[in-house]
Amino acid sequence: MRLLLPALLAQLALLTGTCAGEERVAIGPVDFEPVLAPAPGKNRVHVPAFRLDRSPVTNGQFLEFIQSHPQWRRDRVASLFADGEYLSHWAAADRLGDQALPQQPVTRVSWFAARAYCSAAGGRLPDWYEWEWAAAADEKLTDARSSPAWRTRILDWYARPAGEPLPAVNGGAANVYGIYDLQGLIWEWVEDFGSLMVSGDSRTQGDPDKLAFCGAGALSAQDRENYPVLMRIAYLSALQARSTGHVLGFRCAAQPQEIAP
Amino acid sequence: MRRMLLLGWLIALCAGAAVGAEPPGDSLYQLEIALQSSDGTSVALSELRGRPLLVTLFYSQCSSVCPMITARLQSIESQITARNRHNVTILMISLDPGRDTPQVLASFRHEHHIEASNWIVARAAAGEVRALAAVLGVRYRELPDHSFNHSAVIALIDRDGVIKARADGVLGADAAFVRQVQSIAASH
Repeated sequence: MRLLLPALLAQLALLTGTCAGEERVAIGPVDFEPVLAPAPGKNRVHVPAFRLDRSPVTNGQFLEFIQSHPQWRRDRVASLFADGEYLSHWAAADRLGDQALPQQPVTRVSWFAARAYCSAAGGRLPDWYEWEWAAAADEKLTDARSSPAWRTRILDWYARPAGEPLPAVNGGAANVYGIYDLQGLIWEWVEDFGSLMVSGDSRTQGDPDKLAFCGAGALSAQDRENYPVLMRIAYLSALQARSTGHVLGFRCAAQPQEIAP
Repeated sequence: MRRMLLLGWLIALCAGAAVGAEPPGDSLYQLEIALQSSDGTSVALSELRGRPLLVTLFYSQCSSVCPMITARLQSIESQITARNRHNVTILMISLDPGRDTPQVLASFRHEHHIEASNWIVARAAAGEVRALAAVLGVRYRELPDHSFNHSAVIALIDRDGVIKARADGVLGADAAFVRQVQSIAASH
């Protein structure tokens, strides 16, 4: 019992953290034109209603998660699920330290670890189209992608030197849904990161020249001016599921019907 | 003294068995995947541990690439010596669990003359397939017409679940790949 109690408390903290302070926001259903066309001659996608976390998952939240799911500690995780840099900036396997403050977004987490966290928090990783649509918003519009200010702000973030300490989450302005940090803080895992650059045109299947990442992506990109989004797609597509990165974190999503009572 | 040596050997043997019980960190058998086979039975992926495995992802409605993957698997199998052939499990997992029911998968087996019991044609939950695809390096995308674009990969997995080789695409000479299958099937 003495052994179980800390695990239960950690679980409780994780649940309350997800349900109360960091609640999810309802978005959609929506039809929109993503930057990558879903198929030749088809420009729009339908995204069913979903919910998305207001904030990226923080170091503090992820620490609570590994306390109740110790198989995801950096000293115990199977190498199939995370590379050697997984949580390497934490002071110890179970301690954050100076380089990982509780309110900073958790980074250096693999896709498998992000998925396990979201599953434990009653959700899942968002799909790319869900993420792209949520991140198309600014403070006033749900689709600000044609706004030069929207693009410039993101490109300014890309231009910032890597290696600087990350700010805490929720530091900037929330978008029109009340969601923070979709742009300008970290890269974020999506469930289907490995599918983004697969060409939508089946005629290219089997043609090695056209199966190259850039070729396939360029083939199906319908908004070639949208560098901010294309850069994000290129970044995600180059990852493996066990990859980690200094500015690569995540947030969770959920179906509408999964709302906790 | 002899008794102590024997004891030591037994302890070492037990320790070896205990290490064997937990798959290696980079083993495919770290994944929890429940397979539902074409005959309707369920089997955990990890239960396939102990034999070499050839695994690929496909879907039964696929008319272009998948029949070639199936043919390629059959070709590879035919090049394995008869003595080793029964040692190798061949696993085809559907990317389309919603449509590839056990009945549909059974028809697929019939159409492609897949009769041997070392072939498993199965489906698994969509999220579990995505994790397996990530490990195998298979990239795929469902299109609006419910077809899938996917990379054609046949992976050779050793007895402990570690990926030893990959055959990419549907064409090309298989001789080197078959040699690797042979060598893993013949070991032990």
